[in-house]
Amino acid sequence: MFFEQLGGNLIQGVVLGAVYGMATMGLSLIFGVLKVVNVGHGAFIMVGAFVTLFLFSSLGISPIIAIPVAFMVGMGLGFIFYYTTIRKLIKAPELATLLATFSIGVLLEELIKLIFGSEFRGYNWAVGKIDLGITVLPMSKLYACIGSILIAVLLFLWFKKTRAGSAVRSVVEDSEGARVCGINVGGAYALSFSLGIGLTVASGVLLTMFIPVGINPYMGGGYTLKAFVIAVLGGLSSPYGAFFGGLVFGLIENGSYTLFAYIPGVEPFALTRFLSFVILLVILLIRPTGILSAK
Amino acid sequence: MKRSLVGGFIVFMFLLAGISFAGAAPDKIVIGHPACLSGKFAKAGEQAVGGIKACVEWVNTTYGGVEIGGKKVPLDYKYYDCESKKEAVTSLIGRLVSVDKVNVVFAPYSSGLTLRGAPVTESRQMLYMDHGGASNEIFQQGFRYVVQTIGPATSYHEGTLDMIHKIAPDDKKVALAYEDSEFAKMVMLGAKEHAKKLGFEVVFERTYPKGVTDLTPLLSALKASKPDFVLGGGHFEDGQLFNRQMADLDINTNGLSLIAAATLPAFYKALTTMAEGVMGPSHWEYGVKYSAEEAKAAGLPWIGPSQEEFMALFKKHTSEDMLPDYHAAEAGAQVLAYVLGVQKANAIDSTKVRDALGSLKFMSFYGGWDVDDSGLQVGHTMVDVQWQDGKRVIVWPKAAQTGKVCYPMPTFQEKAKGVKAVPK
Amino acid sequence: MKQIPKYFPLIPVFAAYAIMFLVAENMEGMWQLMSMLLFYCALGQAFNVFMGMTGYVDFGYVAFLGVGTYGMALSITRLVQYEFLGAWIIVIGFGLAMVMSTLLSMAVGAVALRLRGAYFAIATIGVNEGFRFLIEGARIWNGSEGMIFTADLNKVLGRDTAAALCTYWADIMVLVIAALAAFVTLVYMRSKIGYALTALREDEDAAKVMGINVTKYKIIAFITSACFAGLLGATAWALKTPYVFPPEVFEIHYTIEAIIIVMLGGAGTLLGPVVGGLVYGISKYYLSIFLPGFQLLIFAPVILVIIVLFPEGIVGMMKAKTKGTGMARFIV
Repeated sequence: MFFEQLGGNLIQGVVLGAVYGMATMGLSLIFGVLKVVNVGHGAFIMVGAFVTLFLFSSLGISPIIAIPVAFMVGMGLGFIFYYTTIRKLIKAPELATLLATFSIGVLLEELIKLIFGSEFRGYNWAVGKIDLGITVLPMSKLYACIGSILIAVLLFLWFKKTRAGSAVRSVVEDSEGARVCGINVGGAYALSFSLGIGLTVASGVLLTMFIPVGINPYMGGGYTLKAFVIAVLGGLSSPYGAFFGGLVFGLIENGSYTLFAYIPGVEPFALTRFLSFVILLVILLIRPTGILSAK
Repeated sequence: MKRSLVGGFIVFMFLLAGISFAGAAPDKIVIGHPACLSGKFAKAGEQAVGGIKACVEWVNTTYGGVEIGGKKVPLDYKYYDCESKKEAVTSLIGRLVSVDKVNVVFAPYSSGLTLRGAPVTESRQMLYMDHGGASNEIFQQGFRYVVQTIGPATSYHEGTLDMIHKIAPDDKKVALAYEDSEFAKMVMLGAKEHAKKLGFEVVFERTYPKGVTDLTPLLSALKASKPDFVLGGGHFEDGQLFNRQMADLDINTNGLSLIAAATLPAFYKALTTMAEGVMGPSHWEYGVKYSAEEAKAAGLPWIGPSQEEFMALFKKHTSEDMLPDYHAAEAGAQVLAYVLGVQKANAIDSTKVRDALGSLKFMSFYGGWDVDDSGLQVGHTMVDVQWQDGKRVIVWPKAAQTGKVCYPMPTFQEKAKGVKAVPK
Repeated sequence: MKQIPKYFPLIPVFAAYAIMFLVAENMEGMWQLMSMLLFYCALGQAFNVFMGMTGYVDFGYVAFLGVGTYGMALSITRLVQYEFLGAWIIVIGFGLAMVMSTLLSMAVGAVALRLRGAYFAIATIGVNEGFRFLIEGARIWNGSEGMIFTADLNKVLGRDTAAALCTYWADIMVLVIAALAAFVTLVYMRSKIGYALTALREDEDAAKVMGINVTKYKIIAFITSACFAGLLGATAWALKTPYVFPPEVFEIHYTIEAIIIVMLGGAGTLLGPVVGGLVYGISKYYLSIFLPGFQLLIFAPVILVIIVLFPEGIVGMMKAKTKGTGMARFIV
């Protein structure tokens, strides 16, 4: 009974974790290259959710197609925000970028609210489900998981195989050195920022495939906090670290519930949240580069 | 320094403006409202403003104004946006009371914000009417000017339990899963007590935190406890998730009742067939049978627009595709209660109106209205609503019923194949 | 007598507070508005002691207000049964609020102050959220039900005194806290701590190499700032609003507001939080009156413009303009 529940939760945790990981890669990419923490992260996820909702409910387009669309929307938003604000703040103290990205998030939330209203929405993409005995997995969740892994692999290949990818990598390693070697550092910044935002918005699509309800302008806040924990698990500046951080986080979040439920007089769900922040602090304290990064 | 002087000057100008129209007060009665138009309660706030505007218009046009001292006086409605934040609530109430010279303050949405404003209105001896704070505790604090229109939280799930007790005497195992918030926990407490009283067995009792995005672990545990029916919920956001993930995990029970979320049109829109047969308690729902005839039968005076009139006025004051939900109805009914209170007291002085409200009983499109000595609403009963073939049917109590209940509801597999929850 | 000019910069700060008090006291209907503005000024002043002076961004700052609120709430709800204590439970509440916020700040400081920049910001968010979920999850201090204690206050103080405390004296206490925070800020600025923190803000490693014990001064500033936050929570939240619910007192938006106020006025300046608090509070108030529902839509781009074009804040710009003139003595 106990193991059945734990097993079921862990399977769900892996699937969810892959999506969480994907949803954090953008945050880590931006931090890794620009050293900017995107506090408005969740708002971009929300934009992705609305892209999916709009395409599916109004135009009848499958969420699978929404992934590249959302990615392009995100790239566009990324370029706009990079050239209007972020570019001027890269050398400023953290405070400026933290507040700027937060304000961008608020701006997006209020704009979406103006257009779509503050109703809680959802959509119903019926593609069946599979019964694993200990738990039931809807196919849309599985697609979201596979989609996340595919995107992570694509990003990996882009970094390894393309010129632009290696330029970005070299900027992460040493921005001064890269500049000396004739790499357009400003261009790499712009590209990484919009790529990061693109990934984040696209992850909004995957998250709604996983949980297709509760779509509203203010849905992003919780995801921002989760993304922080996951990013720290993965070392904050590494997109792949973030991906594996997501997997670990999904497992912890879903697995620990089953254990906490055996403590009398507590609220196990809130304690799983508590646990994730304890983990965050412990990692920051003993190994700020993350438990999963090689360095 | 300069800024503060400029600020002081602006403030001073506003004060002058305030004085100039204070002298004209007797020819209208002003309702003040720090509404939640943005921030986390924006949804409920918009509804409340729409409901109040609708009923104010009804009073001024159809009803002809508030009769006081033999004269018909029109109502005026003054509202600001409190951003769902407590700092703004007190400052805006301060402004409403002293600059705008309102005659009554309608509380903002939620128990917390309602509590925040109470000391300010109390110290000004200003009537403070609560249409969005369901916590019973508000009325255990000894406030003298707080009067509630919305029913207390502890009563939310009592009707549902009564109904199942009556129609399915064999279903004894109930699972409770609520949001970990002050409001939902109070509902849970009320439900638990009532369930024990009726002889139900609570086989599962858990909460989940606010802002949750995945309920899988909790629902897996709930599934293992094999309940006959499930009561739960908290707000809009988690209700959809709750129902959706019950369906995803194929957790089938005879009944599912969710507070706050299940009765909203957006709930069915988001979940479609998955929401078939799902129930929810509501303060008010479009379709309730309260009418002048009903009131007569119950021996209560009737006031206010009919349901259709209210609907039309509400739509006139909000966007065309918005439908009134209970947030609108309770705020609107509060306008009517205030009007009756003033007429009964034949004065606009808060103390006198408060006394009059204490002994007031009436019925409107929203249902009964009656408060006890502490100001707690005791005259209003909740209705239980069920989604049947995409429509909201009021299934309980018998007096308000618009259709029979479908219990047990179809399984999620059946619903996915298109089986509708229609009573046999 | 030579010491006196040192305190000249306090004149505009205290003058602003005095004007606010007089406006509130003498003009009908201004009290609640002023109390909101005072809250923002005090929040800015308290936050500035640490963030403004060190450049560290404490995203979890609101946690200190939260525990301060809990300190007062616990004292009132748990001690109300001991009738002989009477109104002293308020005093004990203040003590408890200070002790609890100091303890939390020492714990956080021990962990988070080893980190810098973004890592520090994220760690402090973690503390704030973690603490809230601990209270809710382990059901400490009534868990998510929180505490409502107007009835207790009424019982201890009598209805009229309690009402006066909530609507008048609590605001006066906020004013005192704001003034006190300003005073302490100036004292720090003009002492070794201030110089050390300036060095730290410019270049922490260089300051270390020069033999400045940066950790010590950082912690002093951190604890001071947290202590003021605790007091502010005990008054502006616990006494003014006699209830406490965990999600409300650990609401991260208050940290953001504090950051905006400090940025707007000018980080690390004495007058900055007052100017920032007033500008922020007044614009928010009138936006909510004239354009209900659109404040945030207007605020967000305005803040972006300010960060990009005026990173020094209003007082920072005034400082640059008045440099070398007689005014420079007053604007710090």
